[in-house]
Amino acid sequence: MHIDLQAISKTFTDTPRPLAALAPTTLEITSGEFVSFIGPSGCGKSTLLRMIADQIPPSTGTLLLDGGPPSEARSHKKIAWMAQNPALLPWRTVLANVALPRHVNRVHQQPAPPPQTLLETVELENFAGAYPATLSGGMQQRVALARALATGASLWLMDEPFAALDELTRERLTDEVLGLWRTFKPTVLWVTHNVIEAARMADRVVVMTSSPGNIRGVVEIDLPRPRDETAPAMAHLIRRLRELLRT
Amino acid sequence: MRSELSLEPSPGGTERRAPSPTALLSIVAIVGLALFAWETIVKVREIPVYLLPAPSIVANSLVRNAGRYLSATGMTSLEALFGLTLGITVGTLVAIVITFWCGLERGVLALAILIKATPIVAIVPLLIIWFGFGPVPKITVIALMTFFPILVNVHAGLNSTDSALLDLFHSLNAGRWERFRYAQWPSALPYLFAALKVAGPLSLVGAVVAEWAGASNGLGRVMWLAYSNLDMPSLFAAVFCSALMGIGLYGLVIAAERRVIFWR
Repeated sequence: MHIDLQAISKTFTDTPRPLAALAPTTLEITSGEFVSFIGPSGCGKSTLLRMIADQIPPSTGTLLLDGGPPSEARSHKKIAWMAQNPALLPWRTVLANVALPRHVNRVHQQPAPPPQTLLETVELENFAGAYPATLSGGMQQRVALARALATGASLWLMDEPFAALDELTRERLTDEVLGLWRTFKPTVLWVTHNVIEAARMADRVVVMTSSPGNIRGVVEIDLPRPRDETAPAMAHLIRRLRELLRT
Repeated sequence: MRSELSLEPSPGGTERRAPSPTALLSIVAIVGLALFAWETIVKVREIPVYLLPAPSIVANSLVRNAGRYLSATGMTSLEALFGLTLGITVGTLVAIVITFWCGLERGVLALAILIKATPIVAIVPLLIIWFGFGPVPKITVIALMTFFPILVNVHAGLNSTDSALLDLFHSLNAGRWERFRYAQWPSALPYLFAALKVAGPLSLVGAVVAEWAGASNGLGRVMWLAYSNLDMPSLFAAVFCSALMGIGLYGLVIAAERRVIFWR
């Protein structure tokens, strides 16, 4: 999905004092691109993602997804949303959770593999009948990943989905996401706090700074995957990202 | 991870398992000891039976008039169950309606508090004048008493749905009914059962109070007659029956909760 942000900004007015969360921001993301957003808390990266997800409207500017408003993309189930909380329904089995996107908003269905196949994709086929509370945090996020795939969405908005997991699990899951991205070729917007994670995954890293949030710089990462963060070229890019974050 | 997902209703927790043999033994021992102490004190102090009958005399009355108590208990529990069902239905439906149409919330809750604050005892005679000595005024009283805790708790439960779940349903552009059915209603169930633990015993109180004011049968009627005749063994026997019903109803709620909210 092609994303076109033209001078969009967000000022929250329901707070005691108007809060400028994001200064006017312009950015274009081509279809199938993997873009990481990185920056300190309060830099507006989550706000930006929520506006693209059609959860909150921008205060100014225009936001186009494939040339249309985000509400249209959302109503056609073209946006998959993933956050730190896996948001599984505890009263439904793992399989029924993955099948959920097929059951709601039935009028609009995007082509997607059946839930059972998706469970095999995330290697949870043996847990189809289990309830989410019996799974580990990492497994719960894999279920959420399979559910995101079940929407058949062409845009994945991922707001630090693995931030609450331990480092080993997080690394394995980010590798899985990269593999799935290669298979399904969606556009991915990946918000993270982790510089190395951003550099390992993305085609482009958008570095943001706070008060008000805005884009400090955009770093292209034109290196083959899998990437080794200790390789000289990577180390150089990571150093540049850190410098951008510091200024 | 688990704590993020599990849904904690505000009032009280639940005992997860049936009492173990040692727990049962302790219950029997403590109740037995209390009854023994009661019996001894009445016997030693020679308290007259019209003030406080000994447990043995109460038990005797229970056994001799078993048919009467059984029929009264059956009547009262039927009224309680019908009234409670009505209270649950109305309370839940109103909670759903004010959740869907937020504009109604303030007004409806104000009216509900007004009903709640009315001393029900005072309007029972009026209901009997309207509906007669049959079960209708009793069921009305019980419904009036029980719908409030159900309404308030289910309303809180429907509004307590995890915001992450709401984000998910928003991202799928789910309809209001889909969001209600898949996310909000199951989220409210623990709250409904918390309310039932209060409303269940309350329905028995309502039944007895309503029967007290005028009835052809039921435990309230038995108690009222016992007072009129200073027949304390009969009064205590009726109290014992209603306590037993209360325990049974509470157990029923716990058992239903364990089946319905299986994921906790």
